[in-house]
Amino acid sequence: MHGRVKLKSTAQQEEERRKEREKKLKVYLATREACFAKRKQGALDEDALQLTQQLLSSNPDFATLWNYRREILLHQETVREEDEVQKLYEAELAFLESCLKVNPKSYGSWHHRGWVCSRLPRPDWVRELGLCDRCLLLDDRNFHCWDYRRMVVKASAVPVDQELQFTDRLIGSNFSNYSSWHYRSTLLPLLHPQSPEVATLCPHRPSNSPTHSHRVCEEQLLKEYELVRNAFFTDPNDQSAWFYYRWLLGRAEREEMISCVYVCREGEKVVVAFSRPVKAKAVGLMLVLDGQPQEVEWVSAPPAVQHSPVWICELPPGTISDINNEHNLTVHWTETHTHRECALYTGRTESWCRDSATDQELFRCELSVEKTSVLQSELQSCTQLLELEPQNKWCLLTIILLMRALDPLGYEKETLAHFQTLKEVDLMRSCYYSDLCSKFMIENTILKMEYAEVRVFSLSHKNLSILCHLDQLLLVTHINLCSNQLIRIPPEFSMLQCLEVLEADDNVIESLEGLNNHLKLEAVSLRNNNIRLMSLLKPLASCPKLTRLDLRGNPVIQNENVQSELSELLLLVKNLVL
Amino acid sequence: GTQVKDVVIKPDAPNTLLLDKHADYIAAYGSKKDDYEYTLSEYLRMSGIYWGLTVMDLMDQLHRMNRDEILEFIRSCQHECGGISASVGHDPHLLYTLSAVQILSLYDNLGSINVDKVVEYVKGLQQDDGSFAGDKWGEIDTRFSFCAVATLALLGRLESVNLEKAVEFVLSCMNFDGGFGCRPGSESHAGQIYCCTGFLSVTGQLHRVNADLLGWWLCERQLPSGGLNGRPEKLPDVCYSWWVLASLKIIGRIHWIDKAKLRTFILACQDEETGGFADRPGDMVDPFHTLFGVAGLSLLGDEQIKPVNPVFCMPEDVLQRIGLHPEGFLTSENMLEMSR
Ligand SMILES: [Zn+2]
Repeated sequence: MHGRVKLKSTAQQEEERRKEREKKLKVYLATREACFAKRKQGALDEDALQLTQQLLSSNPDFATLWNYRREILLHQETVREEDEVQKLYEAELAFLESCLKVNPKSYGSWHHRGWVCSRLPRPDWVRELGLCDRCLLLDDRNFHCWDYRRMVVKASAVPVDQELQFTDRLIGSNFSNYSSWHYRSTLLPLLHPQSPEVATLCPHRPSNSPTHSHRVCEEQLLKEYELVRNAFFTDPNDQSAWFYYRWLLGRAEREEMISCVYVCREGEKVVVAFSRPVKAKAVGLMLVLDGQPQEVEWVSAPPAVQHSPVWICELPPGTISDINNEHNLTVHWTETHTHRECALYTGRTESWCRDSATDQELFRCELSVEKTSVLQSELQSCTQLLELEPQNKWCLLTIILLMRALDPLGYEKETLAHFQTLKEVDLMRSCYYSDLCSKFMIENTILKMEYAEVRVFSLSHKNLSILCHLDQLLLVTHINLCSNQLIRIPPEFSMLQCLEVLEADDNVIESLEGLNNHLKLEAVSLRNNNIRLMSLLKPLASCPKLTRLDLRGNPVIQNENVQSELSELLLLVKNLVL
Repeated sequence: GTQVKDVVIKPDAPNTLLLDKHADYIAAYGSKKDDYEYTLSEYLRMSGIYWGLTVMDLMDQLHRMNRDEILEFIRSCQHECGGISASVGHDPHLLYTLSAVQILSLYDNLGSINVDKVVEYVKGLQQDDGSFAGDKWGEIDTRFSFCAVATLALLGRLESVNLEKAVEFVLSCMNFDGGFGCRPGSESHAGQIYCCTGFLSVTGQLHRVNADLLGWWLCERQLPSGGLNGRPEKLPDVCYSWWVLASLKIIGRIHWIDKAKLRTFILACQDEETGGFADRPGDMVDPFHTLFGVAGLSLLGDEQIKPVNPVFCMPEDVLQRIGLHPEGFLTSENMLEMSR
């Protein structure tokens, strides 16, 4: 029950209404009984159509009565001539139109209308389109009507470009129409698909291709920016156009492939990272060592999740432990028929083979000259708009996204400043902006690290509220997370399979579940965090090499017997600072 | 510029949770059987009972409802085909089949219907493209995909249908904004997003969601009043607040909205005289919005209410008893809560 305002009324009004309702109830119950009784008798006549009509015109959600009508109509089809059937169904459409006038949002009425059209000997799709137009004129967001319209368009094979013009018209008369922008997003990829050559060259080719990853060819894309720009310059606070614009700026899903293979003599482990979360079963993920297929068990990081980008296996003891032996590994991912090789040379304790984030165009695509210049001018327009509307959050966020598409490192300072403004002007969503900003800062740091080719990763003093892209940090040995706003070391942290030193001082960390089973972890510094309970330190007990731990400035150290309890829990930690 | 559609919360609007009044309201609701409005809603009676019972259980008041009468009613609504109808004399439908199975799960009494036949019914409604029809008349909707897998999961029979195809269909309803609609090409809508993220959680496929993009669209549903709407440019509503909030919880991004402001909005939708929640402050209350008001407050962490499961909209303790743990996003607060 929606939108029924509660009214104050006098006792007399109340009494009158009660009487009226009682009367209505009597009529209703009698009609309902009559309908049910007729159906029980198997009556499939016009009389029953009349009775159900009485109830449905005021209560179109009474689904069973629509079912009964369909039974009657199907029966009548068998006993009437085609012209008579046509007339019967046209009368049904007229009745439905009156129902839709009263209640344009009834699932039952719309579905029944579609059903009737599918039974009509001679359906009139032009009339149906006309009905949709009239209905959308009254409410241009009625999604029942939109869906019905899409059905009519499909059934009568209206060309896609004609439908695109239809959205042009609607958007032209009212920019603020989310439904039209949505419809456009489904039509454009059909009419102007990304050319197959580009799709093959670009590593972001959509695999499984659900509709959402359908992209639009660049030429059309550049035209589309202009249309949206007109929309948000006309009404800078209308979210529809901004949502659409973000979609235009977005990219297709990444192809599923092996992005890294890492092998290590200690523990005789192989780690495989994928570009997307996958479910690795022994059949799908095959490991060949020196030409011999190995029977191994793949475990996800973090463990016990169904889909993860990182999978680990242990080889039988003695397989690769001898440092004097050279080994060649091949990992096959049969789901997408890809494989990756990695050689472990004599005298080396570990080895890897991987695509960098840059190789994978993970955080930004190489832009064509044409696209770069268009995005530059888009950025200029948005900057102009921001001068007129300095508090406009949509404009601020779009500027950030344009800057990231153009040059994420070059615009880092401006991006941070815009995020700061965003958090102030849109306080309700400040956590969203913090998380998004964290993500971008981590991406930038990964890009910078790649230029330096180091395994020491510093994310300190970046105001991070979350950690992400941890699958990209598979090879990192030292990580510095000090002076952020982190509240937890998330489970995905177990993807850092090479980690030896973790510094995470001056955060608000409450939980450490991501520190389970870090086999190489030697030192952890967690000064000035928010760890309250001894039990929350349990993950550390599963790290066999952990010898140094700093817990100063955490509530947990105020517990009595903390020293003895801790040394009981963490037997191996020799250097404990409290 | 565009006027933001929203409501104003009056200073004298309720700002504390009136649990006793709500329990009284629901307990009395089923006794007005000769009421005109009550009779008009007969076509959804089974869901109505589920709303009432679930909110009572969340308030730990389930014992006040007439268990035996309800169980007998459900038995009388199962049809020869295995499906369950909203009420006696009505036709079976997936919507009411799920509601009935949810009620029986609350009462730990699944044995009182023919479970095998329910499974057969659900199975029979799956189409070649993986979608589900709501009943034999063929209406297709992602809501029914959710009803199908939720029903089967509660019965422990998820593998009875073609899950791969079912997932494929739901994913084909994903849109440019990361949301989902009724059918391929349909506009995103918070109710539908709840059904689809719930579906993907039950089937263990949440990684297919673009959680950052969808989460942004969802948190943009919050309006200055604190309430959430179901689509851009619409008014806030208690039930949409639930669909959005539960979806955010499922994809691990519930912290992206302002919880305190949403709580204020939901509390303002209470009726101090009659008990119950309305869609918006000052409107008429009903059991539907009463459930989603209370369940929303539970997701927001109100400790007077039992924890609610965001996928099934049932008390967590019931799902634990059944042994159901729908997938959640690892980065969600779930793990933190579990470790506490
Ligand atoms: Zn509502």
